[in-house]
Amino acid sequence: MTKTDWDILIASTCLKLLLFPAYRSTDFEVHRNWLAITHSLPISKWYYDTTSEWTLDYPPFFAYFEKLLSIPAYFVDPRIVDLNNLNYDSWSVIAYQRTTVIVTELVLGAAVLKFIRGAENPAMQRIISASLFLHPGFLIVDHIHFQYNGFMFGILLWSILMARNDRKLASGFLFAVLLNFKHIYLYLAPAYFIYLLRSYCLSPSYTLLPGRFLSLANVVILTFLASLGPFLLMGQLPQLLSRLFPFTRGLNHAYWAPNVWALVTALDRVLLKVVSRGQLAGIAVNEFGVASTSRGLVGDTVFAVLPTVKPIHTFAITVAFQTIYMGKLWMNTSYKSFVTALTLCGFTSYMFGWHVHEKAILLVLVPLSLLAAEDNEYFRTFEIASVAGIFSLFPLLFTPAETLTKIIYSVLWVIFVLRPIHRQVYQFPRSFPFVVIDVLERLYLACFPLLQIFVTVFPLLTKRTTPVDGTSDHADAADTGVSALKFLPLMVTSVYCAIGLVWAFIRLSVIYLARQD
Amino acid sequence: MFGDYEAQRHWMELTIHLPTRQWYTYDLQYWGLDYPPLTAYASWLCGIVGSWIDPSWVALDDSRGVETPGSKVFMRSSVLALDTLIYVPALFMFTRVWQGTRSSRTQNLALLLLLFQPALTIIDFGHFQYNSVMLGFTLFSMNFFAIGQELVGAVFFVLSLGFKQMALYYAPAIGTYLLAKCLYLGPTEGTKLFIRLGIVTSASFVILFLPWLPPFAPLRAILNPITRIFPFNRGLFEDKVANFWCATNVVLKWRLWATQSVLVKLSTALTALGFLPAVATLLFSGYRLRVWSTTEAPAESDKKDDDKAPVTPATPAAPTPILPLLPYALLTSSLSFFLFSFQVHEKTILVPLLPMTLLLSGSSPDEQTFELGMLMNNVAMFSMWPLLKRDGQGIQYVALLILWNKLIGYNPFRAARSSYLKLLSLAVYAACFAVHLAELFISPPARLPDIFPVLNVLVSTPVFALVWLWSIKRGVEVSWAIGGLGSRSKAPASSHKRPLPASASSLPLPADRQSEQHWSPDGATALRAGGLRTMSLGYAQARQRKALGRSGSVDIH
Repeated sequence: MTKTDWDILIASTCLKLLLFPAYRSTDFEVHRNWLAITHSLPISKWYYDTTSEWTLDYPPFFAYFEKLLSIPAYFVDPRIVDLNNLNYDSWSVIAYQRTTVIVTELVLGAAVLKFIRGAENPAMQRIISASLFLHPGFLIVDHIHFQYNGFMFGILLWSILMARNDRKLASGFLFAVLLNFKHIYLYLAPAYFIYLLRSYCLSPSYTLLPGRFLSLANVVILTFLASLGPFLLMGQLPQLLSRLFPFTRGLNHAYWAPNVWALVTALDRVLLKVVSRGQLAGIAVNEFGVASTSRGLVGDTVFAVLPTVKPIHTFAITVAFQTIYMGKLWMNTSYKSFVTALTLCGFTSYMFGWHVHEKAILLVLVPLSLLAAEDNEYFRTFEIASVAGIFSLFPLLFTPAETLTKIIYSVLWVIFVLRPIHRQVYQFPRSFPFVVIDVLERLYLACFPLLQIFVTVFPLLTKRTTPVDGTSDHADAADTGVSALKFLPLMVTSVYCAIGLVWAFIRLSVIYLARQD
Repeated sequence: MFGDYEAQRHWMELTIHLPTRQWYTYDLQYWGLDYPPLTAYASWLCGIVGSWIDPSWVALDDSRGVETPGSKVFMRSSVLALDTLIYVPALFMFTRVWQGTRSSRTQNLALLLLLFQPALTIIDFGHFQYNSVMLGFTLFSMNFFAIGQELVGAVFFVLSLGFKQMALYYAPAIGTYLLAKCLYLGPTEGTKLFIRLGIVTSASFVILFLPWLPPFAPLRAILNPITRIFPFNRGLFEDKVANFWCATNVVLKWRLWATQSVLVKLSTALTALGFLPAVATLLFSGYRLRVWSTTEAPAESDKKDDDKAPVTPATPAAPTPILPLLPYALLTSSLSFFLFSFQVHEKTILVPLLPMTLLLSGSSPDEQTFELGMLMNNVAMFSMWPLLKRDGQGIQYVALLILWNKLIGYNPFRAARSSYLKLLSLAVYAACFAVHLAELFISPPARLPDIFPVLNVLVSTPVFALVWLWSIKRGVEVSWAIGGLGSRSKAPASSHKRPLPASASSLPLPADRQSEQHWSPDGATALRAGGLRTMSLGYAQARQRKALGRSGSVDIH
């Protein structure tokens, strides 16, 4: 580690320490409850306990991980691991859990540090590594909102690093481990499967290399056995799987994650307005849909005008898109192709998935970062996806106290990461259509400050216009209008970010499929 | 129950709802206004903005104790806004004006060091106060003195006093500096300046207090703010604070020995004695360096135009050679108040900390100033620990200290070059750590519940006292260096009026080592010969550089 690395580590750690008292989402209590479950219950009851509504719904490795964390927790404060001590929020538990996030994130730090040595362009890789370690996404989701993404993306990056260094067995092993920590990484599994199969298990002339195939299969099976074995023996696998994959949610999350469905839902809202004004007579309006999504509640999204989307549709579209990229990956198994395919795999799932959460954008942004400095096209894609993706995380922290922190930190990150890479790789577009695209993209990025101003000022303005006297209970007539207005900034954020992310998705797909390298 | 936060919020509520005359009289039991009028005006402005966003935050009486998330963000943003409007520009101007001879990179580093000063950050943004505004105004007055605009500087100092009475700690130094400047300018110009200063200062005060003065109010109305601002009926000290009284109280129980009035007189006398050296040095230097000396006056009026150009508001006159004394005088004066005066709070260490940090920002890492500046900053944080602990700011205390020391590249425990000072500071840091560790692991014995705050005081006070003595010593040295002590030499007048500034010449980069020889007359002559007509602190030099279009391009690695 160089002196700069230490400086970054110390400064960022101090910043994270300062965020200890910041807002915590319910995920904080979720993880505290898991500490309590794994500490005070035998392993046979872990996936059955319902003392808290926040039941254990991560794969077993994460449960083991929580079990490990619960041991020191007991010595810090025994009440942390008390199963019935719900919503415990004393200073000890906050400090302890926040510290575990900071410490386990060192896995990420170590992984990105390892990326520098042996990189094609170490100077650029250093910037990218620092940008990953200091990513606003991790700051927002892990250190404020509270999760352990830094740790798990550390494992993912480690696995990608192994792929780069041509140690594919280790890469596969690490990815199998990661899957058993958090199953959301299944989104990336197709790329791993094709990549390892084609480049590790098959020879260039498509003959199976049995030794390699068996060792990889063994490694993966053993990993899964280590994770699921105990539950398999106890016959709890169905229960475990039902916890991991609850198919009872709606198409959109409360705040529409900025993907294709956000655009479709928004289009439906607009059409509804048009239809209800009678300009398009003859189109049936689904009455359930009228009240469905405008309130932004969790639940089934039913479109008012457009045909309703079912899980199977989203699944089919996702698989269809992924198949295209996997075809390309099958033909070209270079490291760069693998990382791009991996990113696109995550991107497809994010774009078309059922009940996608906005936090899942990290699944796209992290691997995409590795490609940021390749050339201008990749960089611009990274730029748009990062800015839109990070901005789309802002609504996670809705408390006023964190507003300035998230904005200032993200702006600093954008300045310190995007500018040096931009300087290195920027090329003026070659032909007129590309000049237009370039200008439009710049315009799109330049409007984010305006969007932030709108999101900040809009609630103040609407508050001013509503009468002040009836503070406790509004008149019912005003209520519907006000609550619709309340969600307007969220919808606008979602739609605006969705435009950028869909565009970045198209860009990356075109780059990947059109290029021969 | 509540503290400074509620007080400030309450004043916003007070000022926007009540007529001015009631500001200092309304329900004094509940956090009545006890700061000077400028704070009240600022509160009024913030209150208007606040009530525009959400009237319930500042509703009269009903809003007491409001601490909704939104109102907290608003209050904290108001600190940030005032800090950005006043303190940050003041610091920026300081690095440009006072450190004009340094490369712009070094100036920016100094700015960074000053901006991240942990003690002010944690008090203003953590504990909640608006100290940066008061300090910023004082800083502005220093800056304007440096460019020869005494009148503007005086107005800014009045603003500082009008924002928070704590600025009085600087008053002896500022007042004496202006007097010394008058002495330096001679009977005609000096008297003119003196009269102007008198008029401008009193006018500023009158304007600040206008709502409590005739014809807007009966004359006795002025007593309301005055009695609120200066409470003479409190004790010698309240909490544990790292000053002379509290530290010596361990052995000498002052309050048993003497009555309140005797103690007040004693503390006043000691305070005056404490800042006397600074006053004397300034006045003496000003007199010694006077430009109206009979033998030289005619010659100088032709040649040395810069130094004695009449002070006109339109063109900034050259600064006086006594300018380098000002930071030391401010330090001596404010520390003597902190150590010896009456009713001192632990937060007040911020006042002496400002001149020390300014000096620190202009020093190089192997200088005494640097070591002592870092020591005082770190110990100041330590001295506020009991307060910060009560606030629940333990983690911020640790994080900010590490961040700032890391930013500067200062390791308290690295003894690269051992000197007495380094050994001493090592011992102090060790003591601080020992106190922290003891507090963490040992619960105080029942007989001595206050043992840790007292230990804290006993560790901190000697450091502050040492800095105070050092500032006096440095004041005398600088005064000697600029030719203000000893017999007036018969050498050409230029040797007196070409001072080599103390802080400007002490660049922290090795490439500038040669300029550290600023005491040697050879170096001075060389610089003079080089045509650098150095005014104090290189202001003119910076202007020259700018004129040549090279400013900002000097990058030393």
